[in-house]
Amino acid sequence: MWLLHFLPDSFIQFIVHTILVVGLVGTFLSFFVVNKILRAFPFLSQYVTIPQVVSAVLLVAGVYLEGGYSTEMQWRARVAEVEAKVAEAEEKSKIVNTVIEQKTVEKLKVIQGKTEYITQYIDREIVKYDTKFMPGGECEIPKEFIKAHNDAAEAPKK
Amino acid sequence: MKYLILLSALILSACSTTVPVTAKFPDPPGKNAMERCLDLKKLSDTPTLSEISKTVSTNYGTYYECAVKSDSWIEWYQVQKHIFENIVK
Repeated sequence: MWLLHFLPDSFIQFIVHTILVVGLVGTFLSFFVVNKILRAFPFLSQYVTIPQVVSAVLLVAGVYLEGGYSTEMQWRARVAEVEAKVAEAEEKSKIVNTVIEQKTVEKLKVIQGKTEYITQYIDREIVKYDTKFMPGGECEIPKEFIKAHNDAAEAPKK
Repeated sequence: MKYLILLSALILSACSTTVPVTAKFPDPPGKNAMERCLDLKKLSDTPTLSEISKTVSTNYGTYYECAVKSDSWIEWYQVQKHIFENIVK
C-alpha cells in the first residue's frame, strides 16, 4: 500500500467515497429500479444481470477500500504522532547534552585549578626538602620506590 | 505477458513495509568527553622529592579528569535512554 503515500489524503478520500457511493446507488438502482425497467422490454431482459454484477463489484470494492483508507489514515496519524515525539526527544537530547557538557567543563576546571594550586604549593614548600631526599642525600629515595610507582603508572598493554 | 509482470510487481510491492520515522542518534556530551584519558606520568631515574610530589599530584588530577569524562558518559547514557524510551510509550 506504499503507493498510497504518493497521493494526497483528500484525493484518496474522494476516490474511495465515490466508489462506495456509486456502488451503493448502483446496487439499489440495479436491483430495484433498472431491473424492472429492463424486464419490461424482452430484448433487454438478458442484460439485467450486467448492471447488478458491476454495481455489486463496485459496492464490495468500495467497502474494502473504505477499510483500507481508514487503516491508512490511522497509520499516517500514528506516524505523525511518533515524528512529533522524535522531534521533541531530539530537542530534549540537545538541551541535556548542553547541561552535561557545562557540568563537565566546570568540574574539569576545578580539577585543573586544584592541580595547579598543589603544584605551586610543591614549588614553594616541598622543594625545600629536595636536597635531603636527593641521591646520596640524608634520606635517599630507594630505586624500589621509583620502580613501584612507575610500574603502577604504566598503562595496561593490549 | 508484460502487463501481467507489471501487475504482479505492483501487487507484490504493496506488501512492502516502509518505516517513515527515523530518529537521529544523540550527539556526544561535548568535546571534552570525546578526548581520550591521558596516560599517567612516570618518575625519572633520579627524581627529587618535589618532582615525585608533582608527578603524584598530576597523576591524581589525570585520574579525576578521566573520572569526570566517564561520569559524563554514564549520565549521558542514562538520560538519553530515558528520553528515547519515552518515544515508544
